[in-house]
Amino acid sequence: MNRSRSWAIVTSLVLVLSADPGRTARGQAIGPGFELERSGRYADAASVYLTTVRGDPTNLPALLGLERTLFVLNRMPELLPLVQNARGRLPESAALRSLELRVYAALNQLDSLETIARRWAATAPQSEQPYREWGQALADHRMWDEARRAFLIGRRTLGGDGTLAIELAQLEQRTGNWEAAAAEWGRAVTRSPDIGPTAESQLADAPAAVHDRVARVLTAPGVSARARRLGAELLLTWAQPTAAWAAMESTLGDSETPDALRRFADLAGVLTTAEGHRARGVALARWADLVPWQQASRARAEAVRELLEAGDKVAARRVLEGLTTDSTAPAEAHAVAEAALLQVLIADGQLDVAEERLTAARTSITADDRAALRLALSQARVARGELDRAETVLGEDSSVAAVAQRGWIVLYRGNLRAALEDFRLAGPYATDRAAATERTAMMAMLQRIPQESSPELGAALLTLARGDSVAAINALRRAGGKLPEQGGRLEVLLLAGQVAAGKGGDQAQTATALFDEVVRAGGEGAAPAAAELEWARLLVRRGQNAEAIPHLEHLILTYPSSAFVPEARRVLERAKGAIPKS
Amino acid sequence: MTVGARLSSSLPTFRPSVIPSLLIPMDDAQTDHLKAYGLTYRAIQAGLKAEWLLNYRGGSFLIPDLDALRRDAALNGIRTEPVDSAMTAVRGEIEANNMDAVPLEKAPKVAVYAPPNAAPWDDAVTMSLQYAGISFTKIWDAEVTNGSLKDFDWLHLHHEDFTGQYSKFFLIYSGMSWLAEMVQRNTDVARRLGFATVPDLKKAVARGIRGYVENGGFLFAMCTATETIDLALAAEKVDIAATFADGTPIDPDADAKLDWAKSFAFTGAHIETNPLVASFSDIDGHQVNGGARRQPLGAFKLFNFSAKIDPVPTMLVQNHRQVIPDFYGLTTSFTRTHLKPGVTILADEEGAPWVKYIHGDLGKGTWTFFGGHDPEDPQHQIGDPPTDLSLHPHSPGYRLILNNVLFPAAKKKELKT
Repeated sequence: MNRSRSWAIVTSLVLVLSADPGRTARGQAIGPGFELERSGRYADAASVYLTTVRGDPTNLPALLGLERTLFVLNRMPELLPLVQNARGRLPESAALRSLELRVYAALNQLDSLETIARRWAATAPQSEQPYREWGQALADHRMWDEARRAFLIGRRTLGGDGTLAIELAQLEQRTGNWEAAAAEWGRAVTRSPDIGPTAESQLADAPAAVHDRVARVLTAPGVSARARRLGAELLLTWAQPTAAWAAMESTLGDSETPDALRRFADLAGVLTTAEGHRARGVALARWADLVPWQQASRARAEAVRELLEAGDKVAARRVLEGLTTDSTAPAEAHAVAEAALLQVLIADGQLDVAEERLTAARTSITADDRAALRLALSQARVARGELDRAETVLGEDSSVAAVAQRGWIVLYRGNLRAALEDFRLAGPYATDRAAATERTAMMAMLQRIPQESSPELGAALLTLARGDSVAAINALRRAGGKLPEQGGRLEVLLLAGQVAAGKGGDQAQTATALFDEVVRAGGEGAAPAAAELEWARLLVRRGQNAEAIPHLEHLILTYPSSAFVPEARRVLERAKGAIPKS
Repeated sequence: MTVGARLSSSLPTFRPSVIPSLLIPMDDAQTDHLKAYGLTYRAIQAGLKAEWLLNYRGGSFLIPDLDALRRDAALNGIRTEPVDSAMTAVRGEIEANNMDAVPLEKAPKVAVYAPPNAAPWDDAVTMSLQYAGISFTKIWDAEVTNGSLKDFDWLHLHHEDFTGQYSKFFLIYSGMSWLAEMVQRNTDVARRLGFATVPDLKKAVARGIRGYVENGGFLFAMCTATETIDLALAAEKVDIAATFADGTPIDPDADAKLDWAKSFAFTGAHIETNPLVASFSDIDGHQVNGGARRQPLGAFKLFNFSAKIDPVPTMLVQNHRQVIPDFYGLTTSFTRTHLKPGVTILADEEGAPWVKYIHGDLGKGTWTFFGGHDPEDPQHQIGDPPTDLSLHPHSPGYRLILNNVLFPAAKKKELKT
């Protein structure tokens, strides 16, 4: 008897006991049996159950107790006459019929089992239950072929491709035959769409080696739309969103399409790859075509964001154009679409057009969206090196996000003090967490520099912001070289080293040289310890654990109160293999 | 081994007769309790003398104050306190209270019985040894049957099924590649070593381990290994393995035929014959896979022993916590009614019919059984990632494991039990 079966029995028992007061009394009479059984005293429990059945031959809880205990005691033959007697008294009881089948299966009397099952089926010609119990009793004893035969006899007798499909699917799964299980789950969902989530969660456990074969079974030509949707959802679960969308797209058009698309989009939401964003964006756009405008406008905006995340500007613009030119859409939908379109234009580098539309669209776009777009536009101008225009586009905006952005602009112009002040004003909560961390790190560096301004350092940081890392490394080295050793030089060189280490390849050597310079210089600031940790991390990434260990040990012993020590110990543990890589 | 070797090479060539000491506090002042055991182990491995101050500040250690040891402590984030003149007061306090100072002289050679591959579950002892930096050697069936155990002072067993039934996962996890690999490997080894079946092989291994303890070895077992090694020993001439394991059904009179005189800790248990229930007998009080028989987790409490009269159990329960949250394993606990007379209970759940941590002597050696799988992962499931001990440096449950590693290092003439 497997665990699910035991639980089913216990659950049914609880239901039986609570349904009928007379039976509750009978249940109480066998209460000590449960206690004995729970404490592992099966023989004593069986005696209690037997006594109960002698006085009340159809007492189902006692008979089920005997089924559990006599099986453990290897005394199942004793149960058969009791069950036959009970079934003779209550021939309509499905529970007793099922129990009788299980007893025959436990006794390995397969011919009698089949006879009894067929006899039961003859009394209930439209019911799947006799075949279900027959097959299940065999499956519980791992007689897979015999169980499959029983289920298939039921299907053939009752007709219908999906008859007993769930049972067959579970059977195939237990035997490790995942393709056959997929085919049966496909039949099950075709018959009843409510099974979909169960089927998906069951098949999701298939080993990676059979994913493609399982997907092929469910998405092959001629397979029902519901089965193909199941295949599409599985492909999403297995992180194959492009193949998933191809499978889903082929099913669109029937009355279940809106629900299926929404579920697909929700499932795709957990994927963070470009492919995943694209699949979700496309699904949302298609869903938006099928639902009322209130939901549609929101879905389209979401679709645009997803498509932009995926880098598919063409598809994003196509979704937007459809909405911005739709005269029947309400103003709210137009505003959402316009904001999203401006995002596309900024991402596409059409800054002049975006700026012009942002000014013209003043009345329709919400204040929050407008502020976010101004910031995005300013950042895009900075990325082009257009600092004046980056500042102009912020206008009179006094939000903390705008103050932080102005801080970066003045920093790139070389005004270190003003930048520090703006960053302080912006505080630690402006924009997102990564940006706040970046500002804090920059403030830590600027605080070490006594000069009020350094156009060279500003220019080097602008080069870095514009994405030219190699040029930025050299520019930072030059700018750092002009600062006092304990007055910001080490921090600037550390930054250059971090950029070089992040770049990797040929720049790894540059990073090593920069970290070496900072570590050799030593001193009061945090830079030497940070450089040594970065150096060790670089070595660990390159598989040079033995070389990394002395650096980490030097850091821990030289700077015992540094904030980097706990992290250094952790890297040291990993380098030594003392803690697992999880 | 490399840490100890490095430490040895950095030591002076002679040791002064009186050198200042470093106290490794093991109360809440300690910054990494688990690594503190490793530092002490490496000190004695390098030939230095250490002391275990039982019941003093959570079971502190005293090691020589040497640059190499200070460096080791600093690198590993272990708190140490120089104690020169203060040591006299400390010794006075130890003398006047239920405390004792036990010399630690010889670093035990540690063997971990584990299959050569990585199982889909973690092994608390291997992880704690690795984290603390205590060297060990992995051995398996061949090393036990060819007598190599004599080369080791301390043997650890964890999630091993000595009944040869693959933890009774054979039916529940059929089709899983790790199980197929496990079956194949065990079958191959049984054939290679001349045994007809895997259960026969495991029974022989269990007897080998018993012989090792009788000859003076220290055995520490956790989880399934505790229960199944005793079942395998008691069932030397009885078939208690299901058909899937050896091709023959369990002897219907197995319970009556078990010879408990041969076991370490348990007696009078009833075998779980259902092959679909991943439970071996009623020795385990919690029956994690026993359906309705499963018991909820509580907390277990360490016993207090007299340090001067019973140093061995005292060493085994040194901790900065007395009550520790319980954790499941395939064998979680040990039913009181199945304990042999003479077994020392080290920890139990008050009012519960089970105990958690037990100890006993056999021949010239000793054994210690600790129920449960992973003290910091109470519901550990197959396939879960291993526990990262750097996130649990103060784990009281893991401390109990490491107490066992150091306890064979104690100078034997000092032991009174």
